[in-house]
Amino acid sequence: MPTCKTKYFGDVDYADEALIDFVRGPAGFEEETKFLILSYPHQYPLVFVQSITSPNLCFVALPVLAVNPKYRLQMEGADAAVLGVPEQPTVGTQVLCLALVTGHEQTPTANLLAPIVVNLKSRRAMQCIHADGWYSHQHPLLSAEEQAVAV
Amino acid sequence: MMIMRRRQGEKILIGEDIVLHISHIGRNRVKIGIEAPKEMRVLAEEVQAVHDENLAAARGCSAEAIQRILSRVQPATIA
Repeated sequence: MPTCKTKYFGDVDYADEALIDFVRGPAGFEEETKFLILSYPHQYPLVFVQSITSPNLCFVALPVLAVNPKYRLQMEGADAAVLGVPEQPTVGTQVLCLALVTGHEQTPTANLLAPIVVNLKSRRAMQCIHADGWYSHQHPLLSAEEQAVAV
Repeated sequence: MMIMRRRQGEKILIGEDIVLHISHIGRNRVKIGIEAPKEMRVLAEEVQAVHDENLAAARGCSAEAIQRILSRVQPATIA
């Protein structure tokens, strides 16, 4: 089994099925195209998107539906064609859709504007900017109490 | 900010070497052709925002921050 040096978990053995292959790396990291998706039951539903080639590059992510259960993915036609999925793929069955998390001091935020979309069949991935642009790239993750106050 | 009214097929000239072509006007989107010098960066605003946010996200989270994030998502709400 191949091993990957990771930012948070030391050396990790992985199966090739856990690899995802970016058509082009996320903006700012265009050269990084091979990532491993790591998840651990005690950190559910967090997911770690670890670069295979750069041990120090690991994104913390959440499934978009964990951030917003009503999230609707709408891809640009060209992005959908490259990934080989419909423009409104079913999240969870056709594609994995992950929002990258930024650990701002007070309120961490999730990037719902540009999720990582993975074709679950081919394991090809891409960071797709939502075609309708309805969502924020800094969506605050509020705690239950904060949510209660916000409502 | 300066505002100009343009029809489909019309152009806007900016300085000596920038031309914007209003090539198609749809229901809620316009298609704009841009001629600009090669060395000039032309980007949709959200692409720049996503780029900057990726850099911030890559700075990572402390174990404490991860716990804080976990306390903010409720697994029960996941479909």
